Amino acid sequence: MSTPAPKSQPGDMASFNILHGFPEALVRGMRSSFLADADYHHLTQCETLDDVRLNLSETDYADALADMNALIPTGLQKAAVEKLVTEFQYLRTQAIEPLATFLDFITYEYMIENVMLLLKGTLSGRDINELIAQCHPLGMFKESTMRSIPTFESTPRGYQDLYQTVLVDTPVGPYFSLFLQETASRGEVSNVLEEVEIEIIKSSLIKYWLEDFAKFVDSLGGETATIMGDLLKVRADTNAINITLNSFGTPLNEPAMRASDRKRLYPGLGHLYPAGTSMLADVGDEDELGRVLELFPQYSSIWNVHAAGGGTDGKSIDDAFYERDVQMLELAFEGQMHFGAFYAYVKLKEQEIRNLVWVSECILQQQKEEIHKFVPVFSFNAPWRSGSKSRAGGR
Amino acid sequence: MSSDTCQSAYCNQGWSEVLTHMSPYGYANFGIAFGLGLSVVGAAWGIWLTGSSLVGAAVKAPRIRSKNLISVIFCEATAIYGVIMAIILANKVKKPEEATSSLPEDWDWAGYYYSGYGMFSSGLSVGLTNIASGVSVGIAGSSCAIGDAQDASLFVKILIVEIFASALGIFGIIVGIIQSNSCNFPIAALE
Repeated sequence: MSTPAPKSQPGDMASFNILHGFPEALVRGMRSSFLADADYHHLTQCETLDDVRLNLSETDYADALADMNALIPTGLQKAAVEKLVTEFQYLRTQAIEPLATFLDFITYEYMIENVMLLLKGTLSGRDINELIAQCHPLGMFKESTMRSIPTFESTPRGYQDLYQTVLVDTPVGPYFSLFLQETASRGEVSNVLEEVEIEIIKSSLIKYWLEDFAKFVDSLGGETATIMGDLLKVRADTNAINITLNSFGTPLNEPAMRASDRKRLYPGLGHLYPAGTSMLADVGDEDELGRVLELFPQYSSIWNVHAAGGGTDGKSIDDAFYERDVQMLELAFEGQMHFGAFYAYVKLKEQEIRNLVWVSECILQQQKEEIHKFVPVFSFNAPWRSGSKSRAGGR
Repeated sequence: MSSDTCQSAYCNQGWSEVLTHMSPYGYANFGIAFGLGLSVVGAAWGIWLTGSSLVGAAVKAPRIRSKNLISVIFCEATAIYGVIMAIILANKVKKPEEATSSLPEDWDWAGYYYSGYGMFSSGLSVGLTNIASGVSVGIAGSSCAIGDAQDASLFVKILIVEIFASALGIFGIIVGIIQSNSCNFPIAALE
């Protein structure tokens, strides 16, 4: 797969600001729009969703919620995502190459999600308009493209047609073509699965996207390559561990399938690649997975959260991954003159939207004891900042 | 050595002859040009480094607009050092009183060459230090604007970094003035 070569280098300390100074300063200004500890404190004290709305109207979300009548969690999520998309589009219009390609890479992930949503939705026979309304706004195609995706059947022949007529012009086309080459090279040997499962397609596409993104970021060089390279590696490892964990109990975990099919889904980058992923390919159950992850210190602590079955505060492995992600993404805001802040902003805003939805759902269902199970962003009480609590600085 | 030296009437006798035959007026004027030009390059570099970040950060935090213009002023100061030095040096370049095609024998050759070299060097001193100072203030000013937008108490502390950075330009102009102090182009033959 030919990753597009960047049209110019981002530049180092003395030349970055020529082309990218303005968007970078914009995204760092937007950092102040994250909800603070005090905001989360007020929100968790709310009794009803109207109180939530009142508290949110004093934060940066005031405009986003202005035309909402009554607050419901799904409406709140939609408004918050629209706000993120508006900010992202603003950044994208101000961006010059190579930042423009970088921001486009961030959107490809959502495009893949949307394509999969449309394919999966037609399998269960849902209405196309309903599906389009559910698509993530950051990854929208043309209306005609999206309407034609569900008309294809979910067989290998159908996917080939889908690619050649619809997806070949879209940015996710190359990933789809690689996936088709792979299934074609395996021939008609897939005897266990008649049709290729949607989840496998999605994992494969995300894997190709990650590898493409990592190659692009590497060719940018400098601090961007260092910081973004690390973030993407950690992302790839998370994917590999999740694929393995979710495959237990499904046909993908059969010994015959592990080496051929499951191993194929592990991305070709990350701290776990290549030694870890080859070990993960043979893992059959959770104990073996735990033994493999013990060898990698950064993942053994996350695995122990899962192995303890929830521990004292009922955390799942997803929560542990979220915490670790937030810590690394906050670090991407340190150090100027690199592109990491853009990626980190989108991901951290997503985390904040997840937090808001969690809090409002807990309030709606009156489950106050669960309400603190979210990961705040840029919080002074974060466990990795506990050393600085004694400082008198900050707002 | 006699086989290496060329015998033609037009050959030079080595680098010393080439360099000493370059007119001190040429050296002096190049010094003025470098002093002014390189200082302005440094100042401009610093201004676009800090200005782009200032404009972007001010979108979400408009209060930083006026305060952070100080960074731009610090960068501008390096250009002013260059202008001052150039004016001082330009006033020292004087035409000889008599319009002769070749200078008389009892011309003040020592002072002549001294002025040329001295002014060239002082121009370079100012110019090169101001490039460094301008870039340094620019990068610090860019971070200052972005940090100030998040936390207003950071502004004064980062400003101290910028003050130290702009001191580099002052070093250049001090040394430049010292070097060019006793440079005087002779205008007539020695009495």
